Amino acid sequence: MAGYHQNLDQQQAPAFFARGPSPLARLAFFSALSLALMATDSRLQYLGSLREHLMVVLQPLQLIANAPSMLYESTNEYFSTHHRLLNENQLLRKQALIQAISLQKMKTLQLENTNLRELLQANQSLEEFSQLGEILHVGRDPFTKKIIVNRGSVHHVVEGAAVVDAKGVIGQVTRTYPASSEVTLITDKSLTIPIQIERNGLRAIAFGHGRDNTLDLPFLPANVDIKPGDKLITSGIDGIYPKGLAVATVTNIQTTPDSPFARIICVPTGGIENHKQVLLVSISQLESTNSAVSSNQTTENTGTSVTAAETVKAPPMKASGQHKKITNGAPVTAIDSSTPNKPNAQD
Amino acid sequence: MHKTKLQTIYLSLLIAFICLLLPWSGVALKLRPDFVLLVIIFWILRAPNKCNIGTAWFIGLWVDLATGGVFGQHALAYTVTTFVAVIYQRRLVLFSNTQQLVYVLLLLLISQLTLLTVKTFAGNESLGWAYFLPSFTGVILWQTAVALGLNTSRPSRSK
Repeated sequence: MAGYHQNLDQQQAPAFFARGPSPLARLAFFSALSLALMATDSRLQYLGSLREHLMVVLQPLQLIANAPSMLYESTNEYFSTHHRLLNENQLLRKQALIQAISLQKMKTLQLENTNLRELLQANQSLEEFSQLGEILHVGRDPFTKKIIVNRGSVHHVVEGAAVVDAKGVIGQVTRTYPASSEVTLITDKSLTIPIQIERNGLRAIAFGHGRDNTLDLPFLPANVDIKPGDKLITSGIDGIYPKGLAVATVTNIQTTPDSPFARIICVPTGGIENHKQVLLVSISQLESTNSAVSSNQTTENTGTSVTAAETVKAPPMKASGQHKKITNGAPVTAIDSSTPNKPNAQD
Repeated sequence: MHKTKLQTIYLSLLIAFICLLLPWSGVALKLRPDFVLLVIIFWILRAPNKCNIGTAWFIGLWVDLATGGVFGQHALAYTVTTFVAVIYQRRLVLFSNTQQLVYVLLLLLISQLTLLTVKTFAGNESLGWAYFLPSFTGVILWQTAVALGLNTSRPSRSK
């Protein structure tokens, strides 16, 4: 009985006397506040920096939350068998040999290409700056396709940078935080990527499908020259994605008599959901290339331009730097982007 | 007279928040219950003078930050949900266990519906029925907690 009275004291008395504003008033106040926040965030973009600052506070909590899985992984790695390591080593050696050959050819071709472009007074192709990132975790909203990568604005990751893995494009950086950044995968409904059919050079735009891990090529006529098995590569006309990266393979084309458009379904070539490391590639921007150097491999500076920066400017999937570059003296004709491509961006 | 300590509330909310931050993926991500909201509902029922709509709104902001969606959507959803919880709080404490479960399910669904409304306005396509699965896993979690001895109606006297 005494307990019951205590209970009454606890539950009822504050309800009548010490509750402050009525629940309805609180509801109205806080709902209005959240609606205002939502409007500000989605329409006006004032909250970007605030979000970045608050993320710093979240960082230690994130570390705590990641600790168990990290521990599990590192112990797993530690106890991996001798045999498996040997096998892996052999495989990697073989791969390196194969790639070294194509890399050698690539170097001569690139030199030749630069020379020819110079002769033609054409614009030099844009340089790229890349860094390795590790996937921290997938996005927390199960209905958007996002991943969080452990490189952020302190590592000079910029919004809009392309994200690739060993097999192709997997997405684009959509939001940067100080020590991490959010990558929207190409299969997300909100991401589009300008592509080109490798076989015939036809340009189109690929849309993420959202539900399953596929891409759509909408708004192409029913008689378009695309076959199953065609490879899609980035066209580079957006100035965001470097040119010529593999994106997807066409798997299925459906045409219905009552629709003027074909329904084209493609499967991404990159391992969208099964990699740990990714490469963040941004097309050369002066401020990022000039300062984000030391952590990466450096290249010889044999160019004649005055720049002091030594940067890794390699084609996105080749790890080693180039040895010789010819200074870009050609006029900037800017076919596709507002990205500065000035002479001193060369090495 | 026994009182629930404010620190207990914040500590439990922090733990729930860390549960949200765990690296969920795949099916587990789709089934992940809303830990934070469950803890908020629990404290609203048990200590309504300590944990209120304002607390829920504030925690909702942090959840928004962690999930990376539009700023304020979880805050709004938690505000609406806790409002419903608060106005029926005194009746609810007298409910039987099963009735409480149904009620908690309703609260979780209200939260998800509010979020769904916001997402639809923001331009998402329909997400399918799987969207509501976390509410059901949430109820299972609630029942597990009750079975383990957590009780909404009477503050424990051990501390």
